Amino acid sequence: MTPPPPATAVADMAQSSPAFQDSKINRDILNPTRYVSLPWLGLLLLAVLGVGQAVFSLGYQTYVGLGVAGYQAPVFWAVYIITFVFWIGIGHAGTLISAILFLFRAKWRNAINRGAEAMTVFAVLTAALFPLIHIGRLWKFYFLIPYPNQRGLWVNFKSPLLWDVFAINTYMTISIVFFYVGLIPDIAVARDRSTGLKRVIYAILCLGWQGTSGQWKAHTRTVLHLSGLATPLVLSVHSVVSWDFAMSIIPGWHATIFAPYFVAGAIFGGFAMVLTVMIPSRRIFGLEAYITDYHFENMSRFILFTSWIVGYAYGMEYFIAWYSGVEAEQTSFFLRAFGPYWVSTWIMISANCIFPQLLWFKKLRTHVPTLFVLSVIINIGMWFERYVIIITSTSRDFIPGAWGLYIPSPVELSILAGSFCWFAMFFLLFIKFFPIIAITEVKELAIHEKYGGAH
Amino acid sequence: MPTLLSVFDRPQDVAAVVTKLKGRGFNDLETYSPAPFEEIEDAVDPRPSPVRLFTLIGGLAGVVTGFAMQIWMSLDWPLKIAGKPYASIPPYVIIGFELTILFGGLLTLVGLLFVGRLYPRFRLDPAYSMRFSAEEFGIVVTCKDRDVSEVDALMRSNSAKEVSLVDA
Amino acid sequence: MPDLDRRDFLKLVGLGAGTATAAGCSDPIEKLVPYVVQPEEITPGIATVYASTCRECEAACGLHVSTREGRPIKLEGNPEHPINRGRLCARGQVGIGRTYHPDRYEGPRADGQATTWDDAEARLLAAVQANPGGTWVLGASRGPTIDGIIDAVVAGGGLGGRVVYQPFDGSALRAATEAVFGVAATPQFDLSGADLVLDFDSGFLDTGLSPVENAAQFAAARDIARHPDGGARLVTIGPRLTMTGSNAESWIPAAAGSEGALALALARAVASKRGVVDAALDAAIAKAPALSAAATAADVDLASLEQLVDAIAHAHAVVALPPNPAAAGTNAVAANAAVLLLNAVAGSVGSGVKIPRGPDPRAAAPYAEVQALVDAMNAGQVSVLIVHDANPQYSLPSASGFSAALEKVGLVASLASLVDETSVEAALVLPDHTPLESWGDAEPRAGVRSLVQPTIRPLHDTRAIGDVFLVLGRGLGVSVPSGTTRDIVAANWGGGASFRAALVRGGSFSESSAGHASVETGAAGAIGAASQFSGSGDYTLIAYPHSYLGDGSGAALPWMQEIPDPVTKLSWRSWAEISKTTAERLGVKFGDVVRIDTGNGAIEAPVYPRGGIRDDAVAVAIGQGHTVGHYASMAGDGSPGVARGANVAALLPAATDEGGGRAWLATRASLTKSGAFQRVALSQWFDNQRGRGLARQVSLLALAGGHDDDHEGPHVIEQPFERANDAAPGDPYRWGLTIDNDRCTGCSACIAACYVENNVPIVGETNAIKHREMNWIRIERYIGDGDTEGGEERRPHPDREVLGGEVDVRFAAMLCQHCGSAPCESVCPVIATYHTPDGLNAMIYNRCVGTRYCANNCVYKVRRFNYFDYGYDNWPGLLSLMLNPDVTVRGQGVMEKCSFCVQRIQLARQPAKDEGRDIRDGEIVTACQQSCPTDAITFGNTRDAKAAVNTRVDERRSYYSLHMLNTRPGITYLAQVKRVSEESHS
Repeated sequence: MTPPPPATAVADMAQSSPAFQDSKINRDILNPTRYVSLPWLGLLLLAVLGVGQAVFSLGYQTYVGLGVAGYQAPVFWAVYIITFVFWIGIGHAGTLISAILFLFRAKWRNAINRGAEAMTVFAVLTAALFPLIHIGRLWKFYFLIPYPNQRGLWVNFKSPLLWDVFAINTYMTISIVFFYVGLIPDIAVARDRSTGLKRVIYAILCLGWQGTSGQWKAHTRTVLHLSGLATPLVLSVHSVVSWDFAMSIIPGWHATIFAPYFVAGAIFGGFAMVLTVMIPSRRIFGLEAYITDYHFENMSRFILFTSWIVGYAYGMEYFIAWYSGVEAEQTSFFLRAFGPYWVSTWIMISANCIFPQLLWFKKLRTHVPTLFVLSVIINIGMWFERYVIIITSTSRDFIPGAWGLYIPSPVELSILAGSFCWFAMFFLLFIKFFPIIAITEVKELAIHEKYGGAH
Repeated sequence: MPTLLSVFDRPQDVAAVVTKLKGRGFNDLETYSPAPFEEIEDAVDPRPSPVRLFTLIGGLAGVVTGFAMQIWMSLDWPLKIAGKPYASIPPYVIIGFELTILFGGLLTLVGLLFVGRLYPRFRLDPAYSMRFSAEEFGIVVTCKDRDVSEVDALMRSNSAKEVSLVDA
Repeated sequence: MPDLDRRDFLKLVGLGAGTATAAGCSDPIEKLVPYVVQPEEITPGIATVYASTCRECEAACGLHVSTREGRPIKLEGNPEHPINRGRLCARGQVGIGRTYHPDRYEGPRADGQATTWDDAEARLLAAVQANPGGTWVLGASRGPTIDGIIDAVVAGGGLGGRVVYQPFDGSALRAATEAVFGVAATPQFDLSGADLVLDFDSGFLDTGLSPVENAAQFAAARDIARHPDGGARLVTIGPRLTMTGSNAESWIPAAAGSEGALALALARAVASKRGVVDAALDAAIAKAPALSAAATAADVDLASLEQLVDAIAHAHAVVALPPNPAAAGTNAVAANAAVLLLNAVAGSVGSGVKIPRGPDPRAAAPYAEVQALVDAMNAGQVSVLIVHDANPQYSLPSASGFSAALEKVGLVASLASLVDETSVEAALVLPDHTPLESWGDAEPRAGVRSLVQPTIRPLHDTRAIGDVFLVLGRGLGVSVPSGTTRDIVAANWGGGASFRAALVRGGSFSESSAGHASVETGAAGAIGAASQFSGSGDYTLIAYPHSYLGDGSGAALPWMQEIPDPVTKLSWRSWAEISKTTAERLGVKFGDVVRIDTGNGAIEAPVYPRGGIRDDAVAVAIGQGHTVGHYASMAGDGSPGVARGANVAALLPAATDEGGGRAWLATRASLTKSGAFQRVALSQWFDNQRGRGLARQVSLLALAGGHDDDHEGPHVIEQPFERANDAAPGDPYRWGLTIDNDRCTGCSACIAACYVENNVPIVGETNAIKHREMNWIRIERYIGDGDTEGGEERRPHPDREVLGGEVDVRFAAMLCQHCGSAPCESVCPVIATYHTPDGLNAMIYNRCVGTRYCANNCVYKVRRFNYFDYGYDNWPGLLSLMLNPDVTVRGQGVMEKCSFCVQRIQLARQPAKDEGRDIRDGEIVTACQQSCPTDAITFGNTRDAKAAVNTRVDERRSYYSLHMLNTRPGITYLAQVKRVSEESHS
């Protein structure tokens, strides 16, 4: 049997025949991790500052009380929940690309799925903060967890909010697992090409990956199963989020269309966010060879398609409100379009239904600057979609005598801004230390192209 | 016993060689590849990966835990909520489902680590080198001294770029 | 940032998730210290109740003061008291706050420095001795005993004199009564037997002579159960739709000050229809204007008057109520006389209008006397001015020149217990006890003697006004009775047994036979004068009494500031009511600030455009605009010395009526847009219920089983389910409420009661602007059934009132419905709210994490969120001492709402358990039910068929709010009865 291998120290593992030439793919993709670029440093600094100011605002809010936010009865949910739904939605595109497209064997995903998965993880990490920021007694957040306590109290499993707790945590865990499993072989690649502390860390993270047949077999199988699990999960998670609203009785919320409507909206907004983050990173790290306009075009197709689903949902909400014959519903939707919040409503409609129609033209689908601007517009539109759903519905509900208005407060806006910085911070750190493109998957394709073979 | 390492460029060759080696009874072999290639993996071991068992067990454990937890906790201290039954199944489906996914996913990961023998370590196989995380393939065969030449010949005859003895 | 205490520490560590878990368990150890010597009359945990008398207004209602461990915590009406029969209005409910008020003087002060009583009284005595003749006493009546002491000292000490000053002196009505019936007394109005009530801007339901009593009588007279024909109709006559007017069937929008002429014309017209035998009466109304002339003068259409004349002629028992003091102009005596004559013509003198035998004891002096004193002060003839129970610096019209005159007084001594505009000017402050700390009595009407007894030892180093005068008197060598005020009170009440009996009952109540009186021959003399208006503006300035602030004394009480005005739903500010037409003419919208200028002064106030006021009038409530006081001024909001709102007195001329009484309605004003905008706390932005049937109405025809076309919306209201079902099957109880909207007058006594009973915090103006009030019960005011118009405005205001004609105002109390399938319960992730076995929708404050999902999902919007640490921070001074120990004080970040006074349910549970029986019907009385003057609220066990809560349900009128949502509420509403359409049919 195999004799025990000689003690090869970490440092020696880099040894190889002098004739060896590392592959271009490795060099290109690992390139960003080799040096610190100034724009990257600047962005990171900004992000960290942004997070800092948000933490201060949160401290102030927690100390003084939620009153520093703009809540005005009957609007008891506002920016925090809006932003929560927004980020959860962002996350979905990543899972869709990495899991669903994987199951459909859409090979074009390979170049973008790593970035998309990273985006998912960080978006969910951002979203998960907001329920805590939102609650009135942050220091009692653990009441939401069913843990044995001497009060003998358990949580209410009938509450959509508790479904949220489970859905979000499951989603966060599975996304991270999925993300990490995909990373293992690539970290091994990075390990073999780095020295010193970096190498030690990589060595630990890649769990001694060597790409043996057994490892690959288990790995492919694991990715397959995780995709199989993640696909229904991603659909369920945003359905559950949508049920926070659909399960309640408020006109404008109490609608059965919400689950599919929210899922579609999530994918729509998520793809836009993928574009928003990938276009600059591709530019900064010169990865044009791997992330091509072809990928962007495919994503724009998705965006165009989902924008129609979302548009259909908008229309259907109004139709049902009219068709139901319920005055409260009709009023709620009439005032949504022509009431005090008409501006946000029309921002939502134009950004999510009208602008995306530009993508009918191939010229624009392949014109990167246009795509970038459009993706930003869509992100704004999707944030306003949640704003409209939450604020307009609650501010005009069943008791006209209790109707009111809501205006966001500076504290809320600062925390909103902070959430974007928080997300950006993670993403920037990620692209600095990990391959932003799935090396092995790209390689798999490359080798197949080079030598042909099965598949 | 000596260990031979041979390096290839094409996955098909690797698969072919492995099949041949096994045909001749050299079962103590391992391959290194920069990316997953079914032909190689099946050549080395045609059996399906046991990871799927982990997923199945995890999923089942999840759904059972999910419903059991909810129903027990609702009945442990029954409180009337909105005129609903203390333990009302329809709303519990959601958390039951989520836990199915959660446990399934986590056990799948465990399966990967277990089956792939993955754990943090600094010592890799002596035969492994960074070229296999580039774009080259490797086959390691451990055989008796008298078989070395035979294996060597077989490798080279199947377009191995180089064959070397791994110093034991 | 204040130094860190435990709560703040918890909040901060809460930021770090990990540490929060640890800190969550770190509640401090608190020691319970028992009595060393147990006082025999105190059982810890059980309230000790004392009978006393309310001093918030002149009506002098009887009180039952619940004290816990020596602290008064709740005021309720004394059931034996003939005035209020156990009920209490909003102002009375919160009077308790004075005792614990942060504005209280903690001891005597001289020249702004704290001093000793000996020193203070020595200074006063010295100053008085120096010039007794130049010493004057200015203040309101304090009831027979204390008035007796003061008068004795004033007379015996040879002091200059005493002027009994009350901003609403009511002298006009007394003068009119004297002129018409020959008795200088305030008539007593009894509506219980009436079938037509004419309200000449009297405000008898909120600001009138005896609101609680009249409201109860009014409700009885309209009780649909006893009067299938709907009982008494109410016609209101005046320039603006008041709270009282909101309850009327029809409104004749007479020009301000024209009520008198109108009443007289009506009297004459009715007389000519009916024919009157009384010669004197004939003579009196002989020179009355013709109906048409009066219509022109009052600027109302003749038809409505003719209709009214018919109604009066056909009615069996008419009661016409004279204008309230603030609504009367320079012809106030004539106006009051005219109304009395109308009563005489209608033949209700002796029944609906009772004329006392003798004149009022110690009636307030007419304004002329006050003005005379001011002139004397100006002339430097006053060396010492002793002010008590009055705030002339605030309430006298600026034109009177009082503040200037005050400078010329040698020594001003104030006996105020709370700081006010006058006491800050005083060199000597000898703080009086608050009513809950003092001895005294009151005699609201002949035969009704009501006792004031202390219910707590004085919290501060204060001294009873009586004792101060006794000391002064003895110093001056006056022969005053020995002993203290208490001894004299005891003596006046017959001492010994009869005194003790009075202590227990709260007084001695033997209604003397006030009753019939015939019209004097000279009555005509009082008639004729027309109201005079000074100033040049286009608008008549109506300074009307605020429902809660009274003459301004209520402004110090935070509840009176925070509970929204019943009509406009505004709080914490002054506002200018103008008609929508006027608003368009000025180009202003709700909240835009206008400058109101009379010759005498100018104020600025945000406008409230409404349909319920004449185009030629601008109305501002009396009572705001204080410059001192934690709540009365902006001091509590961090800017001391700044006035909260505006003081109308600054605009008023020093005008008087024929009898020398104060004429509040005497000037015109000009309005100019200032360009500024002011955010105002408006608790209800829309009065359009959009046909959602929140406040329903049933026509008499529908009640009679007939069909009625002119009434939209469902009038025969089906019972969609049985509310008694929604509790544990085995449980004997399912608590519920029945609220009769037909009896609700909108007076908001229930809100005040709830605030005090349940430790509901005050949020202040800045948060009230953001709709963050914490009140557990609110009263929504809708106009008509509403339609689907409106709702778009960013700066909305209620806009559906119309001028005159049929009044269709709906008041609907809204509180937690304790739904059987509560939307709030199913969405709470932590079971902080759930359904108890006896059918309550319970809140577990300690469990709440503040997701606010329940509040979103509550279709009635009755859940309140603690945005700040109200329970901890919002009880300045000693106010925290009045917290009800039976009710948890809620902390920051938790949700709260009506609990059906669960603490009272528990209180009744124990004895029932001890006696092994079920809780009897009526054993539990919720705070709102207890206070309601019209008995509109009934609490009880809906599983007990014989319980009032069920027996009072009238299937023809009962409905559930928003029942189509199947929330299965525990509260049944009884629709308001529409009494108008039926009239037009007949």
